[in-house]
Amino acid sequence: MSLWQLLTSSFVIHAFFAITAVALAAGVVGYFVVLRRQAFAAHAIGHIGFAGAAGAILIGWSPLIGLLVFCVTAGILVGVAGASLDDRDTVVGVTLTGALGLGVLFLSLYSGYANATYSILFGQVLGVSVSDIRTVSLVSALVVASIVVIFRPLLFSSVDSQSAASRGISNQLMSVLFMTLLALTTVVAVQVVGILLVFSLLVAPAAAAEALTSHPIRAVFLSVGLALFAGWLGLFLAVWLGGPVSFWITALASLTYVVARASDSLKTQRLRKARV
Amino acid sequence: MSILKLEHAGVIRGDRSIWTDASFSIEPGTVTAVLGPNGSGKSTLLQAISGLLPLSSGELLVFGEKSHRGNTAVGHVAQTRVADATSTLTGRDYVGLGMDGVKFGWGRTKGKKEAVNQALKQVGALAFADRPMHSLSGGQRQRIALAHATVFKPKLLLLDEPLAALDIAAQAEIVDLINLLRVEQDMAIVVVAHDLNPLSPIVDQVVWIARRQVKSGTIDEVVNEKVLSDLYGHPIEILVTPSGRRVIVGLEEEFAHPHPHGHDHSGEDGHQHFAELYEEGRQ
Repeated sequence: MSLWQLLTSSFVIHAFFAITAVALAAGVVGYFVVLRRQAFAAHAIGHIGFAGAAGAILIGWSPLIGLLVFCVTAGILVGVAGASLDDRDTVVGVTLTGALGLGVLFLSLYSGYANATYSILFGQVLGVSVSDIRTVSLVSALVVASIVVIFRPLLFSSVDSQSAASRGISNQLMSVLFMTLLALTTVVAVQVVGILLVFSLLVAPAAAAEALTSHPIRAVFLSVGLALFAGWLGLFLAVWLGGPVSFWITALASLTYVVARASDSLKTQRLRKARV
Repeated sequence: MSILKLEHAGVIRGDRSIWTDASFSIEPGTVTAVLGPNGSGKSTLLQAISGLLPLSSGELLVFGEKSHRGNTAVGHVAQTRVADATSTLTGRDYVGLGMDGVKFGWGRTKGKKEAVNQALKQVGALAFADRPMHSLSGGQRQRIALAHATVFKPKLLLLDEPLAALDIAAQAEIVDLINLLRVEQDMAIVVVAHDLNPLSPIVDQVVWIARRQVKSGTIDEVVNEKVLSDLYGHPIEILVTPSGRRVIVGLEEEFAHPHPHGHDHSGEDGHQHFAELYEEGRQ
């Protein structure tokens, strides 16, 4: 098969749409993950979802349902309990280890072939169906639309919670809303890159964007652009050169971050020199 | 009508009474300095005025209304946060959040650009408004914070330790700026401080909080040996230097032997309290 035939085959086209939907949501939500310094929470929610997926498989349900229930519940819990910056990491850490333990238990109880679990861990973007794409696009659109609506209060609350509170914004509400959106994005992204790597699409492009520009809206667009770049090019390279799609996507996402940080520190050095 | 009026107000946090029976009022275009030892509840007072903390007793009225969050007549600059030092946001964007950060949706706010520009100009921050906040000096960041809290033209401005961690030159600049806001915008300004000295030229009223009591009045009414000795429960002396300045002696004890009511010394720089309080004397 020629490269062109591969690229136009239905499974690659499906993957293209799924990746596009995920990159949009992950790029937008990722900006706030980085701004609110909640990379650990983003990381944890994926792993908590793993327990849910393993549990769902055990009782014969679709792993997607388990993912959705566990991720959103964990997101809300972290959002409620960890609204204050001080104890957020502890809350996330305790929830994370508890859930991972459950996941291990569910896996050990499950006697069948663990293929479904493997695909949850590492993603199965070349195997997504049309109905998967529909779900992923719908959730992604919902997440992006929600962020558009709460953009300013969420930004205010993320940047300066004290001032936001005195101006009448509920930081608790913002925290819960955001963690719910983060959980939904995680559920969607798991389809593409898997739980272990969800983190890279959510954090790396956004962190790169934040290093490159100070302006929030520009950073969001840049973050989405970089996520799309990593997703599309990763898919192309996987088809062209072989290797897992999720490897290429995460490698490229991480690379964007490294390049952005390097260029940012060069810029900072120049600024310092200019000021002296 | 007074901008702010407290009558027998008290605040309890957890099961600890912070202060009780605070009664004073604040008039437009005046500067009020809030002083007292660490953990005496100075920031708590600002939080109560902003509606962030409920009163446990008494009454606190802002423009005749019970204090509540989101009052657009009140601007509040909390103590310098870690977030400032790491924020990649530009000063201009941060000030913009002060204007319409509470609004949901995507619609543009009419006149925002002009208001932000004017607020930045007023505090002399235009030159560095487009740089990320983490690259600014402490004094520059304080100016941006002032623009953030005044961009929506509040009538009452609450400043928590605006002079902390600034060198003397930067302190004098911020004091001039506070005075400018008072004169040009007719704002009432409440400033929490460790040291009255840099503020004394512009202060109309002093609120001194210690041992859960709140005393208020002019500098002469509050910063005298009798009132401070009563407030602290041990003798306080005020010495007059040859240049006419007054030096307050005896406050160190409060720091060295904290009262058993569980004053919270964590989170604040205790050393600053050691700085004696200088007070301009009259020639």
